[in-house]
Amino acid sequence: MATGLAQARLAEERKSWRKSHPHGFVAKPEAQPDGSLNVMLWRCTIPGKEGTDWEGGSFPLSLQFSESYPTKPPVCAFPAGFFHPNVYQSGKVCLSIINEGDGWKPSISVKQILMGIQDLLDTPNPASPARHEAYLLFIKNKTAYKRKIVEQAKKYPSLP
Amino acid sequence: MASAEELAVIEKAKVLMVGAGGIGCELLKTLALTGFKDIHLIDLDTIEVSNLNRQFLFRKQHVGQSKAKVAREAVLKFKPDLKIEAYHANVKNSDFNVDYFRQFNVVLNGLDNVDARRHVNRLCLAAGVPLVESGSTGYLGQVTVHVKDRTECYECQTKELPKTYPVCTITSTPSKPVHCIVWAKDLLFGKLFGDKNQSSDLVVHTTDQNTSAATEDAEFFNLKDGETFESYACRVFDGVFGHNIEVALKNEDTWRARKRPRPLHINEVCSDSKRMRIDTLTSTANGSSEHTVSAARMLGLNNHQEVWSLKENASVFLQALELFHATRKKEFGSLVFDKDDQLAVEFVTAAANLRASCFDIPMQSLFEAKGIAGNIVHAIATTNAIISGLIVLEAIKLLMDSLDDCRTTYCLEYPRRRMLLMPAELSGPKSSCYVCSQTPLCLEVNTSNTKLKDIVEKIVKGKLSVNSPIIMQGSYLIYETGEDLEEDMVARYNQNLEKCLDSFPTPIVDGSILLLEDLQQEFTCSLQIKHRETFDEEKEPDNMVLSGKFSTAARDQTSLGLVQPAVDNNPIQAIEDDDEVILVGDAAKSGIKRKSLEEDAVVSGKRQRTEAS
Ligand SMILES: [Zn+2]
Repeated sequence: MATGLAQARLAEERKSWRKSHPHGFVAKPEAQPDGSLNVMLWRCTIPGKEGTDWEGGSFPLSLQFSESYPTKPPVCAFPAGFFHPNVYQSGKVCLSIINEGDGWKPSISVKQILMGIQDLLDTPNPASPARHEAYLLFIKNKTAYKRKIVEQAKKYPSLP
Repeated sequence: MASAEELAVIEKAKVLMVGAGGIGCELLKTLALTGFKDIHLIDLDTIEVSNLNRQFLFRKQHVGQSKAKVAREAVLKFKPDLKIEAYHANVKNSDFNVDYFRQFNVVLNGLDNVDARRHVNRLCLAAGVPLVESGSTGYLGQVTVHVKDRTECYECQTKELPKTYPVCTITSTPSKPVHCIVWAKDLLFGKLFGDKNQSSDLVVHTTDQNTSAATEDAEFFNLKDGETFESYACRVFDGVFGHNIEVALKNEDTWRARKRPRPLHINEVCSDSKRMRIDTLTSTANGSSEHTVSAARMLGLNNHQEVWSLKENASVFLQALELFHATRKKEFGSLVFDKDDQLAVEFVTAAANLRASCFDIPMQSLFEAKGIAGNIVHAIATTNAIISGLIVLEAIKLLMDSLDDCRTTYCLEYPRRRMLLMPAELSGPKSSCYVCSQTPLCLEVNTSNTKLKDIVEKIVKGKLSVNSPIIMQGSYLIYETGEDLEEDMVARYNQNLEKCLDSFPTPIVDGSILLLEDLQQEFTCSLQIKHRETFDEEKEPDNMVLSGKFSTAARDQTSLGLVQPAVDNNPIQAIEDDDEVILVGDAAKSGIKRKSLEEDAVVSGKRQRTEAS
């Protein structure tokens, strides 16, 4: 049917990503078995920053857009159970720039979202914990927290 | 009363009404009494009990039946000579395509959602049929007119969307009654009675052995073997309002700048002996049927406008939870909150209030909570009647070809400039509007034997000079080119090139619209497909014909949200500040601004520059 504002903007985001994107990142509308790409659902991977405990990992993240995009932000989610103080058990990321009524602006690009989430990996925000277990470990037992993060990075190795 | 001249036009007019709800019922009646004779009516809803107080064409015995069909029958009873076609269907259904819309002189909307309004707007633009758009919320209402190329379309203005709340606010740091109601309705209710497999972030997780949240256990919300309904309900109460709050309190950082919540335990709220309690099993056995079961009524809380005390909320919570288990067990796993489900509303009100009490947020009456939970501003029949009257007046002006006399009219709650009905001139189309500023090109083609490759070569590259095309159909990219694409994508796209148009998963057929872009150029246009069986080999050697205005607009970045748009959220406010408001009866000249020719020239100039670069 008709292509709306959300789709047109996502086509624009796809174009701008194809023209240039940060090294090590992947962001791509989901491929359908029939050979088309669904622009409403993007499959991305975020590399852990070098020199942090996240280094060596490439973390899968999905961006689910709605018809109300870009007025409303996409839902950004890691796989369920992803270990991070600001990631819910369901995998949903809690970050101000992707929260409607908080830091979200229609002008924020897919690139900015992904880089914002990459930043969040190594610098959790203790003021808005989404997962108590990860939060407590981060606050109370840095060594055990670090061990968990390094372990998780191994679970999602970067492709050569 | 309509003049003889107007009446003649009215009697010949063919109108489409979309929506047979609050405005729709009033509108159909007013159309019939005004003298309209030929009406099509589309509505996908069925009649609900809560509609009956204002959707006056419906009676109790019609509950569950199609709104469109019952409305038709009701009007035919007092105007049997009318021709009314009623469709119990979604207006987005492909049967209602551009050709369907073309048969009408005017389209009248009485819809309740932005999505359907946008769809009708686009079809009216494509078919070139004028649209009278309407809406009402409580005492407020609005009627306006959209005519292609002459006025704003429905999507020229950014619409304010219903608010959603960040998950963190709902699960951890509520500060308003609505946050608690959303929590009770979307998280707790879903967890207890809805689909267990749906992921939910209600549970507070922790690895600390001693403080593990009571509700972390997947089994927590299930009734245990040998557990009575009462002890189950108390256990859930203590887990949700007691233990979980205690666990949340351990996140010191969260509460540094916020008021700390207070955990609630059932024995502190009302001790065992003082608990208001009616034996669930015996009272339900007393013949009350499933859908009239009410915990509040059993407890003697019959005034829905009164805020319950903490103890009353606790009692309703326990009683409602027991009642769900005793009488609604077979619906577990598939229950979704419904504002017409009395027990669900009672449960959500009580749960929201208990949470509100933990966080020191004001509690709400059942009536208010129901309104917030159902996102309802209580509809007012009189507003709908006024709005439908205005719709008919605007429709008559359009039929009389007097667009210059058409107005946007706002129906206000309090008089401004001693008026409750505030008219304003129509605005011209916005050149930045993504929807109406684009004139789609039309491509006539045989969709069953033409491959995507033929279109790409003969039209996209050949006629439109697009270098690196990107083709999109609805939400799907069906073709892209470029060196950066992975091999597997290139292979998939090459397969797509060989497919015939109508054999795509979403077939490209008569009426389909393709969006065409260029990876490098700032170029965008839509291509409306029109199916044609045969072509003249000599005159039309391409076996396809491209027509339409050829200058395509460089896309305005503002309309895509790439530049933050200035949102006009409150049109009524805007009017008040505007000294240009025209009074009723004012014979002012037309305010409709035509899209200036200079503007068009600039737009096509941009395109030429891009090509040259
Ligand atoms: Zn428009």
